[in-house]
Amino acid sequence: MAVKRSTILWAAVVAAAVVLILLWKPTVLVYGVQRAGLYAAVAIPMALVLGIVHIVNLAHGELMMVAAYLAYFVANRLLGLDPFVAMVPVALVMAAFGWLIYKATIKHALKAPELNQLILTFGLAIAFSQIANLAFTSQSFKLSLSYVSASATIGDVSFGVFDFVYVAVAVLLAVGLRLFLQRTRMGKAALAVGQNPRGAAIVGINVDRTYGIIFSIAVGLMGIVGSLFLTKQAIFPGVGGPYTMKSFCLVAMAGVGNIVGVLYCSLALGLSEAVINGIRGYAGWSNIVFFAIIIATILVRSYRERKR
Amino acid sequence: MLTIRNLECGYGRLPVLRGVSFDVGAESVGLFGPNGAGKTTLISALLGMVRPTAGTLELDGQNLAALSTYQIARAGIALVPQERELFPAMSVADNLELGAAYIPHARDMIDERRESVLGLFPILKERFRQLPGTMSGGQQRMVAIGRALMANPKLLILDEPSLGLQPSIVAEVFEKLAQLKTSMSILVTEQNVRESLKAIDRGYVLENGRVILEDTAEGLLHNPHVISSYLGI
Ligand SMILES: Nc1ncnc2c1ncn2[C@@H]1O[C@H](COP(=O)(O)OP(=O)(O)O)[C@@H](O)[C@H]1O
Ligand SMILES: [Mg+2]
Repeated sequence: MAVKRSTILWAAVVAAAVVLILLWKPTVLVYGVQRAGLYAAVAIPMALVLGIVHIVNLAHGELMMVAAYLAYFVANRLLGLDPFVAMVPVALVMAAFGWLIYKATIKHALKAPELNQLILTFGLAIAFSQIANLAFTSQSFKLSLSYVSASATIGDVSFGVFDFVYVAVAVLLAVGLRLFLQRTRMGKAALAVGQNPRGAAIVGINVDRTYGIIFSIAVGLMGIVGSLFLTKQAIFPGVGGPYTMKSFCLVAMAGVGNIVGVLYCSLALGLSEAVINGIRGYAGWSNIVFFAIIIATILVRSYRERKR
Repeated sequence: MLTIRNLECGYGRLPVLRGVSFDVGAESVGLFGPNGAGKTTLISALLGMVRPTAGTLELDGQNLAALSTYQIARAGIALVPQERELFPAMSVADNLELGAAYIPHARDMIDERRESVLGLFPILKERFRQLPGTMSGGQQRMVAIGRALMANPKLLILDEPSLGLQPSIVAEVFEKLAQLKTSMSILVTEQNVRESLKAIDRGYVLENGRVILEDTAEGLLHNPHVISSYLGI
């Protein structure tokens, strides 16, 4: 396969940035990659839903929040499970919940104009965070796990290593979903549905069931992500909101259906956020930079497409 | 085999089909009519994509109106849609394979089906790894026909296969259909009556949502209405 010149150019830019960061502050590189892992792990299930079901799920981060509460109360408090164990039952329960949400709501909005779908999932997001607020109040909950503060030292630089879990999960999700979509019967059907639902129906694929399964898989994966999120972060009803927004931006930046692209975009954003955070006195700018990069990417892309 | 009785169908309150009846047996049948006559609507009803408001649709005694599109496909009806509806990001090879992969009676004979499709349209062999978007309209039409044939259908339906194709390709497509009609039932809608008469045994003329004429290919060729409205003599 021929490698595009722009790909080489981008790789060179990223490599140069990485070298510069390494020379400047090696820990920034570590934290940037870890942050990228978290962003990608959260965003990938959203990319799956957008790519196949063609719906922007504005309740995406809130589903992570629900999963985190589930992991906290049922698995941790009630059954005494560590989040790493809890993520299995939580994922299964979330997958079932996802199926239910699909059948009860999303399915009926798919034929409606896109605006209705946005309003529907936006409504779900508000409902989830309000219900969490009523049930658990706005007080935050946090686990204190000793393993999350594990650290490593290379030369005279030491840094936390636990967050590499997010990187591993993000890569596993991207690779796993790719294999699922390209190798399995169900996955190939999902790809076909994502590309042309009418075409898929006339070759004998049950489009409605495929949508349901993909949505359910995505919400199930949020069960895993939510459990991992709980290991280190404090959870409260509004904790998911910013992740909905950031995931949406990442997915938009990567382009519809491009799951591996989400990894690269997360890396770019994670690194730039870490760099900003690394400059003394400028930490507050990291969100602004995040969105500035997104806006710039989308503008550049629309400009390029217009020229074609 | 396919029996349609008093079919009525429309969009919202707009009636499009106003009581259409016809049959397709072990034969090749044409359905002719001008733009907007309701040909695509009729096919959509057959495939469960629009729901009839009255009448019956049966394939070998099975009520199609109760089934979803994917179930109708699995029951043995393969469609070559007017808009082709290919999978744009998949190669010709994958598009063909998808034609059979989810059809129970075709799933286990993908290799044989592919052989026969590539035998019928050798050009697809050269384009095997290409994306449909990189091919001409005629070649894309062949991919769509090939994909439908992969399903080993009892009934092959083609909705205006000649649309947008240059005359030499149109002739080629109907030649291929003429070869196919010995092994399956065919229903083809067309405005291009002259070319398609080579590939059909019988035909119906649909105008304003009603069948106004039914005859053999030979009969249609000599019918004054067909001659003045469709053969342009
Ligand atoms: N999706 C639709 N919504 C509303 N009206 C439609 C739709 N599709 C077709 N029609 C109308 O139904 C009539 C028949 O269209 P169609 O079945 O496509 O005819 P044909 O295939 O014979 O050209 C036309 O008047 C057309 O405008
Ligand atoms: Mg039509």
